[in-house]
Amino acid sequence: MTNRTAVLPSVTDPIPAAEPDVAARTRAVVKTYGRGATAVRALDGVSVTIARGRFTAVMGPSGSGKSTLLHALAGLDTVDSGEVLLGGTDLARLGERQRTLLRRDRVGFVFQSFNLVPTLTARENILLPLTLAGRRPDPERLDHLVATLGLADRLRHRPGELSGGQQQRVAVARALITRPEIVFADEPTGNLDSQSARALLGFLRRAADELGQTVVMVTHDPHAAAYADRVLFLADGRVDGELADPTAAAVLDRMARLTRSTDEEGA
Amino acid sequence: MWRLTLRSTLARRARLALTVVAVVLGVAFVTGSLVLTDTSTRLLDDQFRTATAGTDLTVRDAVAFDSAMGVEVARDPLPETTVRRVAALPGVSAARPLVRGEGLLEVAGRPVVPRGASVLASWEPAPVGAFPVRTGRAPAAADEVVVDEDTARAHGVRLGDTVTVRAVETARLRVVGLAGFGDRSGLPDSTVALVDLATAQRLLRLGTGVSEVAVVAAPDVAAGDLRQRIGQALGAEVEVATSQDIAAAGAKAARAQLDMIRVMLLALAAAALLVGAFLIGNTFSIVVTQRARELALLRAAGATGGQVLRSILGEALLVGVAAAGLGAVLGVGAAAAMRRLAGAFGVPLPDGGLVVTPRTLLVAAVVGVLVTVLAAAGPARRAARVAPVAALRRATAAGTGRTRTGLGLLATVTGGAAAGLVATGAPVTLLAVAATGALLGLALLGPALAPPLVRLLGRPLRLAGTPGRLAVEAAARTPARTAATALALALGLALISYLAVLGTSVKNSIRDSYAEVVTADLVVESARGEMLGGLAPEVHERIAGLPEVAVTSRIRYGHWRDGEQVSALTAVDPATLPRVAALRMTAGSLDALRGGGVVLAEHVARQRGLRVGDDLPMTFSHTGTRRLPVVGLLRDSDARALATDHIIALDTFATLYRERADASVLVRLAPDTDPAVARRAVTAALADTPTADVRDQAAAVAGRTGMVDQVLGLVTALLMLAVLIALLGITNTLALSITERTAELGLLRAVGASRRQVGWTIRWEAVLVAALATTVGVTLGAGFAAATVAVLDRDAPTALALPAGRLAAVVAVALTAGLLAGLLPARRAARMDVLRAIATP
Repeated sequence: MTNRTAVLPSVTDPIPAAEPDVAARTRAVVKTYGRGATAVRALDGVSVTIARGRFTAVMGPSGSGKSTLLHALAGLDTVDSGEVLLGGTDLARLGERQRTLLRRDRVGFVFQSFNLVPTLTARENILLPLTLAGRRPDPERLDHLVATLGLADRLRHRPGELSGGQQQRVAVARALITRPEIVFADEPTGNLDSQSARALLGFLRRAADELGQTVVMVTHDPHAAAYADRVLFLADGRVDGELADPTAAAVLDRMARLTRSTDEEGA
Repeated sequence: MWRLTLRSTLARRARLALTVVAVVLGVAFVTGSLVLTDTSTRLLDDQFRTATAGTDLTVRDAVAFDSAMGVEVARDPLPETTVRRVAALPGVSAARPLVRGEGLLEVAGRPVVPRGASVLASWEPAPVGAFPVRTGRAPAAADEVVVDEDTARAHGVRLGDTVTVRAVETARLRVVGLAGFGDRSGLPDSTVALVDLATAQRLLRLGTGVSEVAVVAAPDVAAGDLRQRIGQALGAEVEVATSQDIAAAGAKAARAQLDMIRVMLLALAAAALLVGAFLIGNTFSIVVTQRARELALLRAAGATGGQVLRSILGEALLVGVAAAGLGAVLGVGAAAAMRRLAGAFGVPLPDGGLVVTPRTLLVAAVVGVLVTVLAAAGPARRAARVAPVAALRRATAAGTGRTRTGLGLLATVTGGAAAGLVATGAPVTLLAVAATGALLGLALLGPALAPPLVRLLGRPLRLAGTPGRLAVEAAARTPARTAATALALALGLALISYLAVLGTSVKNSIRDSYAEVVTADLVVESARGEMLGGLAPEVHERIAGLPEVAVTSRIRYGHWRDGEQVSALTAVDPATLPRVAALRMTAGSLDALRGGGVVLAEHVARQRGLRVGDDLPMTFSHTGTRRLPVVGLLRDSDARALATDHIIALDTFATLYRERADASVLVRLAPDTDPAVARRAVTAALADTPTADVRDQAAAVAGRTGMVDQVLGLVTALLMLAVLIALLGITNTLALSITERTAELGLLRAVGASRRQVGWTIRWEAVLVAALATTVGVTLGAGFAAATVAVLDRDAPTALALPAGRLAAVVAVALTAGLLAGLLPARRAARMDVLRAIATP
């Protein structure tokens, strides 16, 4: 497998950070889907800053552009204009292959559903990014993650044999195994019962607190957002304020106003 | 990464199973073809080597070429003195006279007519003779014969029995021994009668002449030196050949036909593989679509496009390797089955142990792996382009690309233009361009064309209620898949229709021109169908003497060399032929043939720019190159009735050839005879020549078109394999799309569709795909047949004839088979658990 540092040293390695506290930031990002009359402006000049080592939640009503923002930050999708910086690397300047390598080495993911390759065991799924990169796993890191996530006796199982909560925990372990700069989670609790959801959010919280892991989570659940250090609100492709040290009640209140104003605008 | 590929392939083995079957069948076909032709070649080589094993050199009459179109040239006998002259030369250990010819064997009053030769030869002890006596003793007296063990066993001949041998003379001989051939028990497809030298000379009316002299060199003499010495001593009238050369030449002549069979089999195998490739491409395409989210997940987790591409190609490689291995093994068995099949359609191949060479296995492996990987390359490239975001979104259906449609139109237009050019006079090779263009065009335009065609063809299905309507919509909704599945089947059906239409057109045209030209009441021909005809000259004499017969006219065939090519000619009697055939000359006259000239078919004269009065150089086996004046031109269809494009007089033939066998005797009955009575009289007069067959015109035509039927039958039977693979494709595509439509089918069941209805939805879809394939295939096949007929028409008037019955049978079989192909997937769809189906995302 390719040694990334040998191939692309300057582009995917983090530029010595001018801003040590910033993990990622966007400047005036625009992203439009479709063409002509059916065009939808998913992101309309979004500028956000993601603090390093913190747990940030992104909230907003359906169609607010929160998932698009997450995809742009993670290098999953390209933007039409603006800057997307991940630890000093401008993603907009990267090609498809470079973005792939960046995702593999510097970013971790947890999705709402279909998180695991069904033909691989839990262990193989966790190690997948390393396998793809042709790197050896760090056994200590693996043991630590597996123990923390309570997956020790589940490693030989296929995803089909795991519960939804267990599958998501495997996905979290996979996201953390590469020691990524940022973990992105897109509605990670969307398909979970409340107990599993609480456990999963607890893990993400601990990752930020104990490992200093930067976590960005898109959610529409105020209770989930309450686990974060900070909540960013999006509406109609624009940033619409933020909330530090949120509680579920405060988020709910803010969301209610957001939804109302959006409705009024639409009417 | 390799482990991932392996794991993923194994996990999907059920989905890939039919793909494996398709490759296995194709590879088995290729392997079988190679094994079969290798085996036949080896057996023929062995046979010819055995025949000359104990001889170093053979002395025989010199000719310009040994054989033409697989037929050995007849040679003049050598005088007895040659034997003595050779024996007297230094370095010769032994010089033995051999006599060889044709002698029909009759056992218990019934002629034994083998598919191959009826050999009559003088018996020689080893080492010169290749027929060791296994039971009894060698023939030693004028009334004794030894026959081969195979014939004896097959026809119940025992020592002491009396058999009749019909050569130029006929004799009743007592069987005193049974012989083998080398270490075998006879010559394949032949009978062998061995007599002593004097008896052989008498039966073949050679006087004291011999067919050849077999020479054994003294122990310390090199065969090459001796060959030179004998050649110098005897002069240019004889040819001295080493036994290796003779064996090689004989085998080469016999192999000419085999090579044609090999090419035909490999072409059919290629068709089967092409159909298989469509199936593979389609399967991988569907699997990639279904795995889009999984692939996107891999991409999100950091797999590069190249890794995904290699992973899919790796899967294809695994499938290819497994299938090629299995196919090679099955192919060896298939060779034996194909040999029997060929035999059943009148194409005999020698029987014996199968020959499997490393080359065959290598070809099988390479072909299997290459076809699979190439067919999967397109889907793999698409898989590599799956965007990582797709993991988070619902997969969206891709539309038909504009580039694809554009390229498709280009290919189709190119193909159409090529076909048009061919129809208006361009060389026939352009038809290949046309066919490639059409195929490529259809493959590319398929997704765009499928929905409207499916809706059109599906009209009647709307009468079948909701299942019918759902089937039409399902087929139209996945146009790429429907098109690829249908095209695979269409390809097989197109080839079958092409051959059916072409064959029927050719047959009808032969029949029509024969009926138009030949006015004879009866035609006498050899029942054995020898290439040059096999009637003894006495046949003509006996019929001519009958009071019921007014006119008899003989026709002979001969080979000549035309530059590097071997061509055929027809020899006729210019005096009597016009009374049994209505020949229309466009220049010169048939009568002018008496002067030793040649009459050409019009198109030959046109192509060569020859006119009456010009000379045509022709090379003959015995007389070398002669320049024959062109004395007349004959209409093309009339030339076809006489079987060749070059016609000479029988008198000219006699000066150029040693062959004395007639191909046909055309008979006109006396004006006031009852045809039935006359026919009986002719038949009775030919009682001594059991292979002479008295035919009316219909039977004579059937004799000429029988070959077409045989080849058509064999090729169609072999093409059924391609059709079978395509049908597997329908089953496979439907089975895969059912997995994909689980939620939709579950919903149907939830809202009250019965199992029967869900089942019929799938079955109707299968029938619809088959109908689409049939429409495209039969149209394409008939179209190309029409273009080919237009090409043939240039050389000999050929009219397009559509065999309605045959084509209807193709349609009926294809539709029924489509229904059958849908049975298994329909069963699975109907049995789907409703609750689980709805729960599937």
